[in-house]
Amino acid sequence: MSALLSMRGLTRRFGGIAAVDGVDLDLAPGIITALIGPNGAGKTTLFNLITGHLTPDAGSVALAGHMIGRRAPHHIARLGIARSFQDLRLFARMSVRDNVLCATEPASWFWQPGGKAARKARAERALAATGLEALARADAADLAYAERKFLSLARILATGARIWLLDEPASGLDPASRARFSALLRDAVADGVTICLIEHNLDIVIELADRIAFLDQGRKLAEGDPATILADPHLAAIYFGERA
Amino acid sequence: MLVLQLLVSGIETGALYALTAAGFALIFGATRIFHFAHGATYALAGYAFVFASRLGLTWPLGGLLALLVAVGFGLFLEAAVYRPIQRHHGAFFTIFVAAFGVVIVVQSLIELSFGRAFVAISTPLTRAHEILPGLYIARVFWLAIVVASLVFVSLGAFLARTRAGIGLRALSENPDLLRAFGLSARRLSALAFALGSALAVPGAVLGAATTGLSPAVGAHVMLISLAASVVGGIGSLRGAALAGLLLGIVETLVVAFLDTQWSEAAGFVVLFVFILFRPSGLFGAAVAR
Amino acid sequence: MIAYLLNLAQLAAIFGLLSVSLNILIGYGGIFSVAHAVFFGLGAYAGAHVALDLAPDILLAALAAALIAGVFSALLALPALRVRGEYFVIASLGLQMLATTVFTEASDVTGGLGGLVGIPPPTLFGVSLADPLVFLLVCLGALALALAVVRLLMRGSFGRALMALRDSESAAEALGKNVPLLKTLAVLLGGAGAGIAGALFAFQEAFVNVESFTLDQSVLIMAMVIIGGAGTLAGPLIGTVLLLALPAALTFIPGLPPTDIGAVQQLIYGLAMTLLMIFRPAGLAGRRAGQR
Repeated sequence: MSALLSMRGLTRRFGGIAAVDGVDLDLAPGIITALIGPNGAGKTTLFNLITGHLTPDAGSVALAGHMIGRRAPHHIARLGIARSFQDLRLFARMSVRDNVLCATEPASWFWQPGGKAARKARAERALAATGLEALARADAADLAYAERKFLSLARILATGARIWLLDEPASGLDPASRARFSALLRDAVADGVTICLIEHNLDIVIELADRIAFLDQGRKLAEGDPATILADPHLAAIYFGERA
Repeated sequence: MLVLQLLVSGIETGALYALTAAGFALIFGATRIFHFAHGATYALAGYAFVFASRLGLTWPLGGLLALLVAVGFGLFLEAAVYRPIQRHHGAFFTIFVAAFGVVIVVQSLIELSFGRAFVAISTPLTRAHEILPGLYIARVFWLAIVVASLVFVSLGAFLARTRAGIGLRALSENPDLLRAFGLSARRLSALAFALGSALAVPGAVLGAATTGLSPAVGAHVMLISLAASVVGGIGSLRGAALAGLLLGIVETLVVAFLDTQWSEAAGFVVLFVFILFRPSGLFGAAVAR
Repeated sequence: MIAYLLNLAQLAAIFGLLSVSLNILIGYGGIFSVAHAVFFGLGAYAGAHVALDLAPDILLAALAAALIAGVFSALLALPALRVRGEYFVIASLGLQMLATTVFTEASDVTGGLGGLVGIPPPTLFGVSLADPLVFLLVCLGALALALAVVRLLMRGSFGRALMALRDSESAAEALGKNVPLLKTLAVLLGGAGAGIAGALFAFQEAFVNVESFTLDQSVLIMAMVIIGGAGTLAGPLIGTVLLLALPAALTFIPGLPPTDIGAVQQLIYGLAMTLLMIFRPAGLAGRRAGQR
């Protein structure tokens, strides 16, 4: 199994503290990998290092064998890596439709590559899939909690990216929304999308993840299939100990 | 000798800028409110002093009135303008525009009540004495130095030693510590505004007694405070003070080489260079995007 | 009276163009510049020189003004790319203060405090536009063009990208938006618009000097955008008309000495800015806070 996205020795320090410390991680294509670990384990920092929002102090990131470390975030995004943010960062003063349309337009110039009709269709499909069609004209700031979460996902859907990095995308969702959300991710994976997911809720992890990487204090402590990782009493102690 | 003479008055100006800029930095450091109207506080304090001396009050009474006006104004803005805005969203721009509006209002009110021209009051303090051949120093120079040093030493002690002082430093970074100390964030925020505004008073009073005041002085002082905060590193008290001193000296020394019109501009060249090449300032942590 | 009204209408169109161009930065790009009068001034000086030294052709003057203002807007783009919000406001303030000094001192180019006088009435391809009504139509045409351009751009992908970075820079980057490029383009567009307004202003007044390009002017333009409603198409126009009508309206207040009108005007719009930010931060044309 060759990795689509692979990290080697990825390290980032803030002041004296290493937030991410020599992490090796491979994202295998077409599966859902969950990143779990206590707060402050460095999960979000790892995402920021992959997407170029932070530059690593050491280590490398390769996409299908090509080094992509130290590129600007917009370059990396255009390579087909999309991400969500824990605090969503929706474009609050834009309509729901414009939020999604914006995700279909990679160029910053006045003209976009590809056909306008195809982009519009992709945006509408993303809206339909996330159940936001009826709210398309509302401002993002006016959405309810679950609707915001789905808009964040709709933006990613609309990019057409092949790798999704999702930062706690399902936290706080009610059961019905969560079922809908899980189905969306499974559909994407069935289409060949590779997903990496940060998640605190172990129920969601068990439901979705094909593979788990466990991070603590910036290091990767373990990686493997969900049954093995979640059965490890040592990891459980770290996970629940920290959170108590 | 001209350079030396200018250096002397540069230090005098700089010491007063340092105090005012430190007030701005104190408020920003503690509350994260970009108190753009700090210059308006300065202007109000200065004009309060002028008003008192026109009434024939002695200068300590005038200084007291200036202090009351400054602190009262700072507290008023915190409660009536910044807090309501922060309650619903608190975006930086919203606060900035509101504060800018206050600056304009204060400037026009002063213009309406005191006129547009410069006002100054003469005291025996400003009479210069020849210290060395060709080098004149007025007593106000020593006063500025002494006041600035005293205020900085006591401010430093207050922030380092007292519970409220430590609370002020923790306010923006470590709210948990506040709870542990049993301090209220709301009261500390008011304290930051009271103290920060008070720091503008020495500069305003001595400014009224030396260079004079005009309605636009608030805008000028605001710019200097901002420039000093950036050059010193935003939120750093020590940095703001040092940069205030530096800007005062640069502004004055430039006159030895260029027309006086360039003196204000020189400060902004320094500012621009810092923003482009060292946005974190002298003492700031990395704060660029 | 007619002449007075025509003059006021010309000014309204010119300041409308100014506030519409500043709105690209503040309202759509979230780039909070307090230096717009600098580009207004650069355009005015450029336009005046074209009229005085070459030919009073309004198209030529406007092009030169847009070019000069656009080129110098790099001075604003540079800090905009390097630092975030608070710092950028300060940088733009610093630029404004520097520019005021340069405008005053570089008297070979700007005429210093005396300014540039005797700017001939405008022509277009040799046809005179000296008639106030004709010139008003030219100003309105420029304003309409600017509005059309802004509307077109902001409804397209460029506008969406710009507003996206205003609302969240990191999320815009994560969707592939080139933030430095977008900001530079926004600053350039806004600067060029202000430059054209400057050229029109030079013809309108037949005289330019530094007094029109100070911090006070920048703040007035900013107030027009904010009070009207930043990020809306109509907002800047509403703000412009209100703030320009204010001094005229104040002259009707009995007992107010004419010398105080400037101060009272400032008092009113300063107060309006502060109160709006507390109670209706999106401006008159914008949505109320928390409205759903």
